[in-house]
Amino acid sequence: MEIALIGNPNTGKTSLFNNLTGSYEYVGNWSGVTVEKKVGIFKNNIGQLIDLPGVYTLNPLSKDEGVVTSFFLNESVDRLLNILDASQLERNLHLTLQLLEFEKPALIGLNMIDVANKRGIQIDAGKLSEVLGVPVVPVVARSGKGCDKLVDAISTKSTQPVKKNLVYYGKEVEEAIVTLTGMLHGKTDLSVRFLAIQYFEGNEYVRDYLHSIDDQQKLNPVKAKLESKLQKQYEVKSLANYIYQKRKEVIEGIVAEVARKSNSVIPLSEKIDSIVTNRFLGMPIFLLLMYFMFMLTFDWLGTPLSDLLDGFLTGPITVGFEKVLTAIHASDFIHALIIEGLVAGVGGVLVFVPQIFILFFFISLLEDSGYMARVALVMDRIMESVGLNGKAFIPMMIGFGCNVPGIMAARTIETPRERLLTILLTPLMSCSARLPVYALFVGAFFAGNKALVVLSLYVLGIIVALTLAKIFSTTILKSETSLFVIELPPYRLPQFQSLWRSTWDKGKGFVRKAGTFIFAGSVFIWLLSYAGPSGLKVDMDHSYLAAIGNAIAPIFDPIGFGTWQASASLITGFLAKEAIISTMNIIYFVPNDASLQGLMADYYTPLAAYSFMVFILLYIPCLATVATIYKETNSKKWTAFSMIYAFAIAYVLSLIIYQGGKLFGLV
Amino acid sequence: MFGLLKAGGKGKIINLSQVGHLVQRRLLDLGITEGSEICVKCVMPFGGPVMIESCGQCVGIRRREAVQIEVVKL
Repeated sequence: MEIALIGNPNTGKTSLFNNLTGSYEYVGNWSGVTVEKKVGIFKNNIGQLIDLPGVYTLNPLSKDEGVVTSFFLNESVDRLLNILDASQLERNLHLTLQLLEFEKPALIGLNMIDVANKRGIQIDAGKLSEVLGVPVVPVVARSGKGCDKLVDAISTKSTQPVKKNLVYYGKEVEEAIVTLTGMLHGKTDLSVRFLAIQYFEGNEYVRDYLHSIDDQQKLNPVKAKLESKLQKQYEVKSLANYIYQKRKEVIEGIVAEVARKSNSVIPLSEKIDSIVTNRFLGMPIFLLLMYFMFMLTFDWLGTPLSDLLDGFLTGPITVGFEKVLTAIHASDFIHALIIEGLVAGVGGVLVFVPQIFILFFFISLLEDSGYMARVALVMDRIMESVGLNGKAFIPMMIGFGCNVPGIMAARTIETPRERLLTILLTPLMSCSARLPVYALFVGAFFAGNKALVVLSLYVLGIIVALTLAKIFSTTILKSETSLFVIELPPYRLPQFQSLWRSTWDKGKGFVRKAGTFIFAGSVFIWLLSYAGPSGLKVDMDHSYLAAIGNAIAPIFDPIGFGTWQASASLITGFLAKEAIISTMNIIYFVPNDASLQGLMADYYTPLAAYSFMVFILLYIPCLATVATIYKETNSKKWTAFSMIYAFAIAYVLSLIIYQGGKLFGLV
Repeated sequence: MFGLLKAGGKGKIINLSQVGHLVQRRLLDLGITEGSEICVKCVMPFGGPVMIESCGQCVGIRRREAVQIEVVKL
């Protein structure tokens, strides 16, 4: 059995998904964090649950919302599970009424009854079920209360709606629906009433669907005639507005019947908001939080943990491997492959797991608490001045973790131009895979100001992104339309369990990559460095790797790192940014990280090291990101553009930093 | 009209038709339409967005659109 989970944004849909399926799923608390269709298996194996992005209506504005409408039109589903926010019943019921028109078996999870109660709203679930004609189960998705009852209801109760046509749209509309029903008879398996109403509302996805099954010359007049008739008769603004009003009347009736309101207390949320989104404190608070996040990740907590892990990997683990290899009399080749290739390459990346998990933990915390949407609000003024909108800041923040989900999150941006701009610029956000590179270099060259130097790189990424946004939006991506309306969900105290889940969900990709991609890459790089034109076990400077690196090294001479080692690691960095570290660990093979840092001083000056870090920050996005850009823009031109402009801007900035620094006497 | 409202100001929307089509649609999705009572929660500096509250939910909109909303003070 396939069940689709659908509801408004910020109604706890994803929390409910986690509770029902028990799978590790990503929980977000800003509008539209679910950017892809996700499927989980119910805990008691009754079927599959499909998590759809949050929508207010089935008539979509953004691409993200379009996902839901096309799902309804093109895919089959056995049951609909509609989750409602009890504290916002009026708004939520608009979607519910549309879902019921779809005439599929449905049931309702009434969430956040605790929040509603706190606001002095009491809802009679039994009555609501009676009125709507479908089962209604009260739940608290965050704590999982009531979820077992919901599962029972899904598996046992008959969920075929007993009442039909909850909303009477008036004589004219109902007549037009009948006309369309006649025209579409036998041409579709979907509910014609649903299709007709959505079509009248101006749903473009439904319009395209209808045009694909019937003649648009016949369909258009029906709608046009209806609209002009209503406008003449009732002086309504538009057909869509008329339908909305009809639904609203019905909803007001339902709410009056099922909900009781008493005097409410001011929710804590508003008190926090008066500080966080304060006129003048908003921005400083955001920057302070960022600073705190970086200090924890790099100085206070992350680095000591990484050092501990490093000690463990280079100490007991390496010794253990050596012992085993000696015991089984492994050949020199195997011995070198494992110790110099795998342990150095994979271990060099794994060392950074603690720092990356701390960073992901903070990003999850920001998302889950409801702060992310506030950041978008606080940032909108700046973003607007460069031709973007505040919402673009959220994909960028997610991009700090990994650019791939960041770029996908750009789907929630409504206007195509702003969305494309955000996709193009998100790769400039310094993702967690670039972090190991900084960690290594700041450890070697800027030990006194680790967090500050790394923060400067993150800030540089943002500044470059904003500058380019301004340039692009006034040259190649000119357009007037911009839309910024953002829902600010109430603050929610994040729960440790869901925080841990989403941190793990984001972080596991990094660990998995270390075990697969980096693992294979390390073997390959090591082989290239072990073999050369003159045979195996050559001196590294005469290996194939050196030959490849030397071929392109002159390009990087003006920006401070024209060595074959740097060039070779930059090539592997295109596959995955953390591969730069594993490559360096193999090239400069040394028993432990501390001496690698010492060795770096022979190859880089502090200025060249900074120039190198800037280059790593900005140059061509990694393979996975490029693939995602292609998938999201569906354009070879823009994908190529994203790679070329990034390389150019990286080169120019590194050149300015290196040559400019030299002029000022820095080394 | 809306521009006259300060943080803490309350009003009732009487006309939304001056506002851009997309913004109007989105506000409608959030249940904010003609007849809705709204309260200005805060106004960001330097012409930044405005945070309004309606029926217990908070929504951020730009100053430009906020000014186009016609309201009567309550």
